[in-house]
Amino acid sequence: MERFTKFLRQRAASTFLVFVGLVIIFSLFSPRHVFINARNIAALGKLFPDLGVVALGVGMLMICGEFDLSVASVLPFCAYIFARSLYVGIAPVWGMVLAILVGCGLGWINGFLTVKTRMPSFITTLGTLMFWRGILYVWSQMMPLGIRQYIPTGSSFEKVFAGTIVGFFPVQSLWFALFAVVLGVLLHYHRFGNWVYATGDNRDAARAMGINTDWVKTLCFVIVGALCGFVACMQSVRIGSFAATQGIGMELRSIAACVVGGTSLRGGVGSMSGVTLGALTIPILDNGLILLRVPVFGITAFIGLATILFVVLNTYVERRFR
Amino acid sequence: METGNDFLVRMVGIHKWFGRVYALRGVDFEVRRGETVGLIGDNGAGKSTLIKILSGYHQADQGDIYFEGQKVKIRSPRDARNLGIETVYQEQALAPNLSISRNIFMGREPVRRLGIMDKKVMDEESMKALANLGLRLRSPDLPVVTLSGGERQGVAIARALHFKAKLVILDEPTVALSVKEVEEVLEFVRQLQREKVSVVFITHNLYHAFDIAERFVVMARGLKMADVKKEDTSPQGLSELVLKSAFVAV
Repeated sequence: MERFTKFLRQRAASTFLVFVGLVIIFSLFSPRHVFINARNIAALGKLFPDLGVVALGVGMLMICGEFDLSVASVLPFCAYIFARSLYVGIAPVWGMVLAILVGCGLGWINGFLTVKTRMPSFITTLGTLMFWRGILYVWSQMMPLGIRQYIPTGSSFEKVFAGTIVGFFPVQSLWFALFAVVLGVLLHYHRFGNWVYATGDNRDAARAMGINTDWVKTLCFVIVGALCGFVACMQSVRIGSFAATQGIGMELRSIAACVVGGTSLRGGVGSMSGVTLGALTIPILDNGLILLRVPVFGITAFIGLATILFVVLNTYVERRFR
Repeated sequence: METGNDFLVRMVGIHKWFGRVYALRGVDFEVRRGETVGLIGDNGAGKSTLIKILSGYHQADQGDIYFEGQKVKIRSPRDARNLGIETVYQEQALAPNLSISRNIFMGREPVRRLGIMDKKVMDEESMKALANLGLRLRSPDLPVVTLSGGERQGVAIARALHFKAKLVILDEPTVALSVKEVEEVLEFVRQLQREKVSVVFITHNLYHAFDIAERFVVMARGLKMADVKKEDTSPQGLSELVLKSAFVAV
């Protein structure tokens, strides 16, 4: 019992319980139990890391007390850089490096604007969200750009970012796990993580203790940008092309994933395990509801509802057992 | 006649503008080694500005700072901490959701390889630092938000002590505390005095300051209005000084 209440005191504990409940419900009630069908699990494992990897970075940024709405534009922008660089004859590996560097650069711009103007990042990144999407639409003329001819199915590059292991397990999930562990160590065990928490929790105190909070925030933005660049390439390799619609809706879904995972909107509170859980829960809700034959366009309503309920539940349980 | 060496810190002719607001109009301020100075004055008198210049939060537009006889430039809170100046702000000193040990080592985490924090050292040293102050808390993992107001000040002061501060600045440490908690905090300050640490105690409450300070500096509208030793005054006298100086035409 002692163990149990200690567990419940964790902010994301109730999310975990609901997550398990959802898995059970979807498994039982989806037609022919297709939810736990190996092919469905494999498809999920392939798709969820797109949102998941970005959400990991966004979670860290939110703990630091900032938002990034621009991920939904930075991602396709990097995807376009990647596709373009292949077209001019750059090797896929270097194209990916370039895309990630551009992601870092766009993240740095977000950080720079936020830190220097002292404006809420909600505003600065709303601006860059629209700005980069506009630039992208003009530059790409919204035309898709196929990249299969540069990265053929079965090539080693394709295998590393869109293949499967032992013929079943999607590598995307491994990438997600890798990022979750690395960022988890960074956030919870590295001194930088302590600066992130301190900055988000009480910026004045962090500054007074000699932490360069502007630098910490900017670096968190850069990490988000880098992850966007990574996902942009991973996703492009999977779908075999650049598409101007990549990333749409990701800004709010990534925040929803973080919030569902117990991250506070005010900063200073949250954990990598929570964000990981949130990044799994949102896609599973999506997937399960589709399998339950909920009309696709109605699913957003459920995600919205679920986000609110999760937050209420997490806050309630946390207070109750503190 | 005292020699300059008696002074731990000396601020000379400090001026500070915030846009069009002339916040400090040439203030001299000094603290001797092991001395406790009460810095008092009404809201907007410039106490906090003066102290924030000393702790690196603001930079003076004009004027010099000497620390242990050496002229120093304090450009950031980190510079100040490196000199041995620790500031305990009213409510701003701690991150409420972080654990006690993470707060105590905030910005100065002991690390093993690759910047990974040494949690064992952090926890042990935190508990030791708190015990030195006579504060017994259940666990170094408790989030600071679960502590009482007095205990929180204790954590902040323990942090200052642990890092061998030579000067501890307490900015309104007793504001919003219960009577019992105030007594607790004053006891922490006495512990600092026993360890021969210099203290600047900023407060509205003359009675809290009077208990522990040896000298009082009264400020009003960006100027130092009075500098009196404890034996030359009384709480009533001080209170009159504050009132009078607030009404003097500048």
